[in-house]
Amino acid sequence: MKAKSRAKIVIWARRLTQAACLILFFGLFWAAGAREGEPARILRLFFDINPLLVLITWFSSRSLPTLLTLLSLLTLASALLLGRIFCGWICPLGTIHHVASVIRKRKRHTDTSRDNWSVWQRSKYYMLAVLLVMALLGAQWVGVFDPISLLYRVSATTLYPGAQYAVEDAATALYQGNPGLGPLKATAVSEPAYRFMRNHVFIRNRQAFLGATLIAALFVAIVLLNLYRPRFWCRYVCPFGALLGLCAKRPVLQLAHTGECTHCGRCAVRCPAAASPDVPHHWRSTECFGCWNCVAACNHGAIDFRVQSPLRAPSEARLDLSKRALLASGAGGLCGVILFRLDPQTQQRIYNPDLIRPPGARPERDFLKRCLKCGVCMKACPTNAIQPTLFEGGLEGVWSPRLVMRLGYCDYNCNLCGKVCPTEALQPLLLEEKKKVKIGLASFDITRCLPYAYNRECMVCEEHCPIPQKAIYFLLEEVTLRDGGKRVVKRPRVDPELCTGCGICENVCVFKDRAAIRVTSANETRHAGNRPILAGFSSPETSAPAPSQEADPYGGIKN
Amino acid sequence: MRDGHTRREFLKRTAAAGGAMALAPLGAFAAEGAASAPAEMAIARWKAAAVTSPEEIKAMAIKLTEQAISAIGGMGRFVKKGNVVWVKPNMAWNNGPEFAANTNPDVVATLIRLCFDAGAKQVKVGDKTVHEAQKSYPASGIEAAAKAAGAEVVYLDDNRVKEVELKGKRLDKWAVFPEIIESDLVINVPIVKHHSLSKVTLCMKNYMGVVGGDRGQWHQDITTCLCDITAFMKPRLCVLDAIRILTAHGPTGGSLDDVKRMDTLAAGTNIVALEAFGAELMGHKPDDIPLIAAAAAAGLGTADYRTIPLRELEVT
Repeated sequence: MKAKSRAKIVIWARRLTQAACLILFFGLFWAAGAREGEPARILRLFFDINPLLVLITWFSSRSLPTLLTLLSLLTLASALLLGRIFCGWICPLGTIHHVASVIRKRKRHTDTSRDNWSVWQRSKYYMLAVLLVMALLGAQWVGVFDPISLLYRVSATTLYPGAQYAVEDAATALYQGNPGLGPLKATAVSEPAYRFMRNHVFIRNRQAFLGATLIAALFVAIVLLNLYRPRFWCRYVCPFGALLGLCAKRPVLQLAHTGECTHCGRCAVRCPAAASPDVPHHWRSTECFGCWNCVAACNHGAIDFRVQSPLRAPSEARLDLSKRALLASGAGGLCGVILFRLDPQTQQRIYNPDLIRPPGARPERDFLKRCLKCGVCMKACPTNAIQPTLFEGGLEGVWSPRLVMRLGYCDYNCNLCGKVCPTEALQPLLLEEKKKVKIGLASFDITRCLPYAYNRECMVCEEHCPIPQKAIYFLLEEVTLRDGGKRVVKRPRVDPELCTGCGICENVCVFKDRAAIRVTSANETRHAGNRPILAGFSSPETSAPAPSQEADPYGGIKN
Repeated sequence: MRDGHTRREFLKRTAAAGGAMALAPLGAFAAEGAASAPAEMAIARWKAAAVTSPEEIKAMAIKLTEQAISAIGGMGRFVKKGNVVWVKPNMAWNNGPEFAANTNPDVVATLIRLCFDAGAKQVKVGDKTVHEAQKSYPASGIEAAAKAAGAEVVYLDDNRVKEVELKGKRLDKWAVFPEIIESDLVINVPIVKHHSLSKVTLCMKNYMGVVGGDRGQWHQDITTCLCDITAFMKPRLCVLDAIRILTAHGPTGGSLDDVKRMDTLAAGTNIVALEAFGAELMGHKPDDIPLIAAAAAAGLGTADYRTIPLRELEVT
């Protein structure tokens, strides 16, 4: 078979693989937290096979979360043998960039100026160097740039909520307007579709994320960069691509000029990677995605992929990373870490009351060494409480998870976030362990709380408190009213021994702007320095020597 | 609502029915059994040996439900052929059935089956939950049981509520879930629980699960608000699950120490009578519960449940 026709078959195989991997990525994404039950490790497949994340997390935290991450060696092996086929065939973000590049008007002429190799393609290797140095010094920032973390974060905070919003609001608008021609109503179609989506696809009430517009805008920007250069991100920025490129210096599958080249440049125009397929003996294996477009583009059968001995260098072209630039990258990484650590919060000299990490979060420094900012916990959180930070955790912790109790709360009977975290930045806890973890402490704002500020009845916080003995209880207090009369009012209090800071009280408080009971990070289990409440002795709020059923300030009926 | 009846008409009808009941000879129904006009309320108590295993409790729940419904005239009295029925349990809490925070799943499943047997076209089950529905539906055991019984388990969409005129004393307008109120029949199936404000949470409070918006405000005047929503809902059939009851730290629960087995179930058409019975189960005098007095005064039913046609069943 001629090289060109064979290449066309390979290209279709690639397209199918790309589509399958994209579907798999979003399928696993959808499954995270969609249904009850133990989340399977396979939900994190794309993280486990990602050698960049595994390497950096290993460097920064000096540990591997699970042996399954050894799967990432397969990805490295694929690069050693076949080049950056992960980029060309598997990477879901690569596929999105690929499609966006194709949308760019295809050039008919052979102007290769935008597709020639550029020295700027080395920048991704310098990026990788910066991230590696930072990781060795104990700071993890790879998740900001890693394509899997990035796409997951974008999907969790914008694509998925956006899709749900569009489907549900469109269906609801049809439902409320009920347009149609005579007896033919639009709702006859839209309602069953809506019900199917609601009961089987989205299931949960829609999520919304603070700062999602910034995450979305950055995503749109990197997709639009494909108009400037095809697969701009993959060519110039992606540190994962850089790592694979370093492994692909001498692959077994190499592009070779096998026939008479007319120097028409068609192969170079079709090459999304600017890997110089058109220059004999200068094909750049470190850049090539193995997409086979070049072979299919050649009308003369002049180029083809061949199995070659890796001992033989594929090309005279060298990566030629500048030692100065590498040194500068290392220095940059060092400076980055120092800057991160200058933050008083990172030094744990102060504690941000609004930085309430999910249960199972390691102490802040240790947490940041592992957190990929990928948003799996945000996707999985059933109450939408887990939100991306902006600067609440410092620049180092940008887009890392925190709980915002106005939007959700930590479900007492849920420990999902720790179970889906790919790097155990949130440790997987048994439910009974998780119930004992304090993530914060609730306190009343008595200038707003209805029984305090207005002598009104209200007990919504107490009603919702999930602690079996109730961490919120009432004291009966006699108050003097405006007209001088007296009344007894039930006023709620928090028992700091029992309160875990789950935040459902803040979530359900009748004040919707700023709740009259609010949770701060005080008393969080993970930081001894942030615990004002001396633990382990019976609450001074009860007169009995030890807490007991009888001491319960309002007990109801006993068995 | 679909049939277009106003609350005023409803109240007139209720008053008329109440009057007719008052004239009926007391105790006659209990004596004559099922042969005569059906009772307006039935209390089914388990009188066989105490059961412990989950299978036995399930079988008991099924029997109690079937016999209580049968004693008030069977499901055919409420469900017409082709009806769409909404079964409204309490399934609002992410807790298992043993914690008595949610309605017994087998009671719900049995009601669904009885609805289908009576010719219902579709039975839907759903609740505006407190915890996330995605958590509490499965945890309650009701999702699986209802699906197995052939019902559609509906995850209500917070963004799809409709403001309706309640024209109540406290609530003029409120957002409700249209899918629920557009059903031909809503069966109210709460569980008996402790509540720190209203002392007990029973049938009337279960209606908080058909409304959207910020329900929290209602607690500032819970009595009037619940009377308003009950009047709007025009209850036709309520089933009070007291197989397990939550005696303290409600309505969330979470400790088995607070759960008590009563092995009892009541069904009826008179919501206030059921409230009074439920309050007694919790060890209160109905008169001590402000909600019950207020609901009776508002014409929503009869607080003294012994004065209405009542059947008390001993189920074995």
